[in-house]
Amino acid sequence: MSWAWGNRGLLAHYLVQHLYLALTPVLFGIIVAVPVGVMCVRYRWTWPPILSLTSIFYALPSLALFSVLIDYTGLTDWTVIIPLTLFSLSVLIPNVVDGLRSVPAPVRQAADAMGFGSLRRVIQVELPLAMPVIIAGLRVATVSSISLVSVGQLIGIGGLGYFLVDGVQRDFPTEIYTALILILILALLADTVLVLLRRWVTPWEAGRRVRPGSRILTATWRGTSAGDAA
Amino acid sequence: MITFESVTKRYPGGTVAVDALDLQIPDGRTMVLVGPSGCGKTTTLRMINRLIEPSEGRILLDGQDIMQTRAAQLRRGIGYVIQQTGLFPHRTIEDNIATVPLLNGWPKARARERARELMDLVGLDAGMARRYPYQLSGGQQQRVGVARALAADPPVLLMDEPFSAVDPIVRGTLQDELIRLQAELRKTVVLVTHDVEEAIKVGDQVAVFYPHGKVAQIDTPEQLLGAPADDYVENFLGFDRGIRRLAFFPAVGLDLGTGTVLAADTPVGQARQAAKRAGESWVLVTSAERLPRGWAALAELESRDGHEVLGQVPLAPYGHTFRVSQDSLRAALDATVLSRTGLAVGVDDEGRVVGVTSYERLRAAIQAAEEAADSEGAGA
Repeated sequence: MSWAWGNRGLLAHYLVQHLYLALTPVLFGIIVAVPVGVMCVRYRWTWPPILSLTSIFYALPSLALFSVLIDYTGLTDWTVIIPLTLFSLSVLIPNVVDGLRSVPAPVRQAADAMGFGSLRRVIQVELPLAMPVIIAGLRVATVSSISLVSVGQLIGIGGLGYFLVDGVQRDFPTEIYTALILILILALLADTVLVLLRRWVTPWEAGRRVRPGSRILTATWRGTSAGDAA
Repeated sequence: MITFESVTKRYPGGTVAVDALDLQIPDGRTMVLVGPSGCGKTTTLRMINRLIEPSEGRILLDGQDIMQTRAAQLRRGIGYVIQQTGLFPHRTIEDNIATVPLLNGWPKARARERARELMDLVGLDAGMARRYPYQLSGGQQQRVGVARALAADPPVLLMDEPFSAVDPIVRGTLQDELIRLQAELRKTVVLVTHDVEEAIKVGDQVAVFYPHGKVAQIDTPEQLLGAPADDYVENFLGFDRGIRRLAFFPAVGLDLGTGTVLAADTPVGQARQAAKRAGESWVLVTSAERLPRGWAALAELESRDGHEVLGQVPLAPYGHTFRVSQDSLRAALDATVLSRTGLAVGVDDEGRVVGVTSYERLRAAIQAAEEAADSEGAGA
């Protein structure tokens, strides 16, 4: 404890870097995944090749990517952010597609028949209804990204991963445990924020999660097909 | 007026869903398209708002080719109700109903106000406005679907098997509601169903489809039941169409007997004479307010002292009654068949006795109605 307190400045520095390195790829990922997912649902023929591509992203070892990228992006944050973005995409695109496909056909048809244009239909009807599945994907991508950042320490950019490597080199377990606990806390906090976000953006789902006569929430982690895709 | 001019819908692979269809749907009436699965009735409906586009031919809405209006624009002027309601699960009831006004750029407050009006119109409690669709029963959801379709007050309303997903009792109620709404709003309604009973109940006109995209007969329900165009239509209409057709003839046309309707204070002797004069073996005993009390048998009356009054005689229950001003000959016949005396009681809206039927009187009324219908059919 006294070690952690004594190094709180350094811990805070790497904690912020860790968050930045973990969340930027998820942000990029969702910005790309939504339009790509919409395209895959709209033009069905684009889906098989993109699914294959996401599977490749998922399977690519980050280490290999670092050594390739280092020739182009050097020892900058981008060398970590790019591989993690690809990983996020491998989780998020299939979830966006699953989410959009989970919209019941009668609802989509009713939207057409009411006179929604196709862009408006996507924004006002399909994406809101896909939200639970998309956010489930965001949770997987975010938690994975937070845990994967540490690997970046192999090229010297790894957030809290710094302490993991440093602790091993100095044979100083306290440092390792402290970093590990902080990473876990980050992951849990981020996940909680996303759960709250889902409740906030999907008020219509509230009643469905509560079993009749009980206040117990049934955890539903729907449509996390990233594992299947990979 | 919606006009189909030799409209054909052919799918890739050669399946013909609708085959050179000519159809005219007059304004302010309910046209029901009925037929077996795959007969093209739903395709026909969906071509009206361009959810499906015809391969050949033209569809005119008030004389204008629908292909000349932008699809989204066209659809906002045509209400649409579907079987599984298609309500937006993420929108409250009021926002579901306000969908088309909002698309048309109404301010939110005005659109919601309109939604409340429609909830009232379709018989939904105002307290449901802020609920989500999953919190409503199937029947209530279907009412929301109808309200949503009517929100922008479109002249045309398309209904694609709107009541087939709810249980029979709710279905009956919703059909009655549609008839009531339509009497008030006079929209041009096109309704698709596979249920011929529904078609006959709600349609002003019914188009019966052959199995493969051609129309077998377009007629009023009463004409359809009375004169099916061919064996296919006759089979499709099903059993006892003669009796079902009587539903279109009002009971007002019945010449009801009143000679044997007697108050409870009538002396038995006088009742005996009345029954014999009318040639009936039962008299209907009523209260002083002319409410029915029961049947007294002539045989019983003859075994009694003529100075007794009818109120002292044991009575057989009067059974089912029918309302003369509102019910049909079918209801009158049904009440007569169910009655143990072979006579049934026609009442007014307050339940007071108007008169009694008999098979003879029914036969005369049916015959008169048939003749009137025939001359009307020939004149048209």
